[in-house]
Amino acid sequence: MTDVSREERCGLLAEAEPDELRALAEQCLADGADVRVLVGPEVGFVTAQVREPVAAERFLLGDVLTCRAEVELAGHRGWAMRLGDDRAAALAAAVLDAEAEAARPHAADVAELCARVARRRQEREAAEWAELAPTVVEFEELT
Amino acid sequence: MGYSGARGGLEAILAAEDLVRRARDHAPAPWAPTEQITARFRLAVDRVLGEAGLYHEDTSAAALRQAEGDPLEAAHLVRAHRSTLPRLAVSEPVDPDEMVVLRRIVPAFREPDGPQLLGRTTDYTGRLLEQPAGPPPRQSRTPATPPDRTETQRRPGRFLDLLRKLDLVVDHRRADDPEPFDITRKPARPPAERSAALASMARAETGALVALWYRSILGPDGDIHEVTLGEVRHGRLPLRVRHPHTGNPVRVGEFRVTEAEAIEDLDGADEDRSRFDVGYGLCFGHNERKAIAMANLDVANRRFGRTGPLEQLLLLTTDGLDSAGFLEHLKLPHYVTFRSMVERKQAMRAAGEADEGPRVAEPAGQECR
Repeated sequence: MTDVSREERCGLLAEAEPDELRALAEQCLADGADVRVLVGPEVGFVTAQVREPVAAERFLLGDVLTCRAEVELAGHRGWAMRLGDDRAAALAAAVLDAEAEAARPHAADVAELCARVARRRQEREAAEWAELAPTVVEFEELT
Repeated sequence: MGYSGARGGLEAILAAEDLVRRARDHAPAPWAPTEQITARFRLAVDRVLGEAGLYHEDTSAAALRQAEGDPLEAAHLVRAHRSTLPRLAVSEPVDPDEMVVLRRIVPAFREPDGPQLLGRTTDYTGRLLEQPAGPPPRQSRTPATPPDRTETQRRPGRFLDLLRKLDLVVDHRRADDPEPFDITRKPARPPAERSAALASMARAETGALVALWYRSILGPDGDIHEVTLGEVRHGRLPLRVRHPHTGNPVRVGEFRVTEAEAIEDLDGADEDRSRFDVGYGLCFGHNERKAIAMANLDVANRRFGRTGPLEQLLLLTTDGLDSAGFLEHLKLPHYVTFRSMVERKQAMRAAGEADEGPRVAEPAGQECR
């Protein structure tokens, strides 16, 4: 998975485990690259806006806790937003985004991490379906 | 403490607070970690995050622990916490049709598009109390590997769309796209846009919404006369925001919701009696009672919200923080308030005993001197 779009990469980094983000970010920064924190990491919320199906009207369902960060690494900006309040994980994800944008030495590792996250998502959904599928029901109709 | 007409008591207040903390945090029982609460009390956690209006399971669990299991108090704590946080973005409009279902039932129709998926439920289980001394033995049942999940199984067709295909439902779809009302910035007051009512119900106290739903069926207003559910779903929806550099949507995660569609049989003189109307309910987490009540009340509010008290009741009386906050404040010292009431009674009695007769208000328009 080397040709994911920027948005796909951010989405996958948003799902990665904090430990794997931090470990890879440390490797990225180990060469002493010039890094600047531009935003945060900042905990806040994203307001979930829904377009309901009856009248196609938008309404605000509520807020989702999120954390975002933005960095500049070797002249390239990296951005991340994740659910929850793990500041270190958001900062690490932003570093990885910048590493990939700058095509620096660990860009391939970032792509590999994204591929791993995507595989895990598929495996998790398959395991979930294995649990759910036996609960599919067809009630009989009494006539 | 500071309150109108009373002050002081700081030492006793601190001692009372300390009593709560010691009994709660150092009870002779193992500490309940956050993951214990989210795993074993998920419905309570979901209720709190829904009523607080902030989706984050761990925050909700921490609040429940701090509130000693009181969901309303926990929602209060989470809302207070939320008020300290910045709004980082408003999401791209979420399309509920994107929901990956964990549970989906269509009570109105046996063979809808896609499966009837019971999922995790005790709807069909007898209510027999279990009191095990420890964890029950693990069931050895290993699920067989099913064929890959099809797209219809992941995202089944909506029952409302089936009704539309059959031309059996009134079409409310709007051509315009008004900005949604933000109840966190401005209180919703009648007459309000539908987006304000939906947002208010999504964050309402579950019991208050269910009580209002039941009142609408059995109470004096009779705003709901047919109670048929189109469908009920629990599942995950994607949260997307605009990427600040590319301007394209980015999926930053998923959140779980419960969704309901309620069908109402139109019978009014000015209504299209050859069709049904559909109401919509959606709330954070797994809370089917709330979503179902909301869906029924949505359609009732459309029909009767302005001709009776329903809209006012929905907007002004279902928020848990509003109602419980007002109720709880009654426990604060009201010495001055009550003393003035006593003094008024005594003054009236004294006036009566002096044979002055009852005090009568001056007629309107008379000049006061």
